[in-house]
Amino acid sequence: MARKHLESEVKFMETIKATVTEHDDMHFITIDTGETDKISIPISEDKPNEVKSAFNKLITLIKDREFQIGLEEVGPDLFSQVANEYITQLNREIQEVREEMKVYGLVGD
Amino acid sequence: MKIDIHAHTKKCKSGDAPTREITPEDFCETLMATDVGIIAITNHNVFDREQYKDIQGRIGEDAQVWPGIELDVLEDGVRGHLLVIVSPNGVDEFSKAVDEFTKTSTPDNFTTSIDQLIENFDSFKPLYVAHYKQKTPNLSDDVLVKLTSETLNPGRVIKEVTNSISAGIYISHGHPSIYGSDIHDWSTYKEQAHDLPDLRLPVESFEHFCLLLEKDPTTINTILDKKIGEDLLLTPFEDATCIKLKVFNDINIVFGPKGTGKSCILEAIAKHYSDNGMEANVYVPASDRLDDIFDIKGRDLSLNLNPLGINYCKDEIEALREASEANVTSFSQYVTYFRTKTTNKNAKKIKLKDIEPEDEGAAKRGFDDFHEATEKTDEFLVFLKEHSAIGKELSDTELSELTNKMSDLLKRLRKREWDNYSSWKEIGLLNSAIAKLRTEVERKTGSPAKPTTTGFREYALNRTKIEMNAAAIMKSVDTEIPMLKEAVGSLGTDKGLLELGTEFRFQNGTISDGSLDKLKSIKKNSQKTFARTVRKIHKHANKNDLFKHITDLNAIEDVERIETVYELLLFKRYFALDGPYSPSSGEASMVMLNKELEADKEVYILDEPERSLDNEYINDVIVPLIKERARAGKKIFISTHDANIAVRTLPYSSVYRCHGPGGYSTHIGNPFSNNLVNPDDEADRLDWKKVSMRTLEGGEKAFGERGKIYGNN
Repeated sequence: MARKHLESEVKFMETIKATVTEHDDMHFITIDTGETDKISIPISEDKPNEVKSAFNKLITLIKDREFQIGLEEVGPDLFSQVANEYITQLNREIQEVREEMKVYGLVGD
Repeated sequence: MKIDIHAHTKKCKSGDAPTREITPEDFCETLMATDVGIIAITNHNVFDREQYKDIQGRIGEDAQVWPGIELDVLEDGVRGHLLVIVSPNGVDEFSKAVDEFTKTSTPDNFTTSIDQLIENFDSFKPLYVAHYKQKTPNLSDDVLVKLTSETLNPGRVIKEVTNSISAGIYISHGHPSIYGSDIHDWSTYKEQAHDLPDLRLPVESFEHFCLLLEKDPTTINTILDKKIGEDLLLTPFEDATCIKLKVFNDINIVFGPKGTGKSCILEAIAKHYSDNGMEANVYVPASDRLDDIFDIKGRDLSLNLNPLGINYCKDEIEALREASEANVTSFSQYVTYFRTKTTNKNAKKIKLKDIEPEDEGAAKRGFDDFHEATEKTDEFLVFLKEHSAIGKELSDTELSELTNKMSDLLKRLRKREWDNYSSWKEIGLLNSAIAKLRTEVERKTGSPAKPTTTGFREYALNRTKIEMNAAAIMKSVDTEIPMLKEAVGSLGTDKGLLELGTEFRFQNGTISDGSLDKLKSIKKNSQKTFARTVRKIHKHANKNDLFKHITDLNAIEDVERIETVYELLLFKRYFALDGPYSPSSGEASMVMLNKELEADKEVYILDEPERSLDNEYINDVIVPLIKERARAGKKIFISTHDANIAVRTLPYSSVYRCHGPGGYSTHIGNPFSNNLVNPDDEADRLDWKKVSMRTLEGGEKAFGERGKIYGNN
């Protein structure tokens, strides 16, 4: 029984893939949630409304499932560095928000 | 207390039902289950002394049992029944007299003449109760005249009739009358006893009863003197005439023709008691005020939401209205940081600035958990120590064990609380140090510091709070409030109880029922728009246009007056039987009087309460209520033109106002003495019964009509 119990506690957190994309000299972090509408965050210029729109989608996602974002192909270029740092911080904050939401009963286990 | 002057305990005649038989034990048990306080045992032509003694021994002081006999009287070839009831003090002699008188007969064939009866029993000063009219076999008026003329106590001859209505009619026509159970089946006695006559005055003994029957003034005055009463000196009229009234903690009637100042007397009585600090006001029927009295428009209506478990949502509404978007960290900060990554040697040495900040939220939640548990445990220990019930229930050892366990738990919780507090503050200090060092390095070296947050946490939690606040408001306004019902009063046996129904509903954005009124002076449209907008805010909590709806919320007319969900309440108030019902003016009078009498007061002052009411309601509802209040020792003053109230309540005090050639006069008396005396002239006396019948509506005429129906012309 003890062994079974231990096994049931092992959870593998889902990792959602993210990549740095370039379009018309603009750089984005593109997060592929598996749904048609990908989450896109512009990183080469300040567009707070688009960032907020991306955050809104992430909040909705947090309520549905537990995940972390994994940046693929981190290169030495500036925007890869920026994206890598940003996603590191974002992952930490996503976990914190999910924990808070759990307390309020807004997410399922 | 009730009286039964005609009860059987034995089957004596062959025609008697066996169910008339009852054992002394069962007799006492049955009697004790009723309100009957006086009962006369009157078997057919038989008196069983042993049984009587057995019953009397068992019942003791709990009831008066009077010895008696029901005799077959034969006069002019016609047989009728006559009850002869004597004092319990002479029971042995009475028993011997019965035995001697009946020894040559059987109960079936025994008969007596009036002369023989007088010869054998009149020395006992008995109460003679003759079967009369519909109570068969009856004695004729001629036989009763003979009995009355031959007995030494003509005031003790009364007529037994079949029920209370007949008794009322005969009494009103000058025939002293009463009725008894004449029980045939003891299994029905408890039910039958409800209809037996009530004794309005306390009767101490057989002799006392006879004196009251003869309207002996001393006896009546002695009883009235024992009753709590007081003298009122009133100046009810403009001419400063003083009148002195003897009133009782019972029913006091003011009657007389219209325009003789009865209402002024009631006002003066009310003023007297008000001046003495008692709540006293004159009730005047006004059926058109029913809506106001019951506040049907809800002007003073309010509702406490707390007992219903409904959150007023004051904080939530305030927070929604003041909500603003949290900012996110601009990407230029990241780009600048990575473009100008510091090369300063000293800056590189300060490693602390490169450490990632930690999550304070989790640490704080950990502390909050233990802090709450510590506080509650501490409170419980105080409760254990201070609450007297615990000390009474637990022994010292048990209490000590429990206290020790709880104290141990508290100690451990305090340690964990402190550990968590330390961790939380450590993280706070660390994060603060990281932020400070980054700023300092940035300032000293000119190299921008790495941002510590994307802003997602604050942004998401801000949105979450907005969502939760909107959800709390929606939960409140979606709560169904049970309908409130308040008894208004009885509309009689047919229709039943009239109720005041109050429905409350929150405007939750979907209600369009025009019959619902707003509880607070907020426009209905504003209420509806507010509720709908909160729903939109909830729905759009994670949408880009969230703050458009917050702006819409703040643009609603009067929104600043919607501080809680209470301002979103709607209500509907109406009178109801099975469903909504509009009482007629007569019914409105009924329930208003009912409400007045059901209020808990020391003094009730009613001015012509019979107005707009029918006799049935007065008899069945109002008179019993008045009597009930009188039994509770309340002071009741009633000005009335209605015989049902003035006569059937048998008032301790009757004040008669009239106007004659000599001007206005006041007479005071009661039905027991049957007198109404002018206090200014003791010789000016009126007959209470005659005046009542002449003056009161439904008096002489009503009794006369009924008299014909019952064959009494």
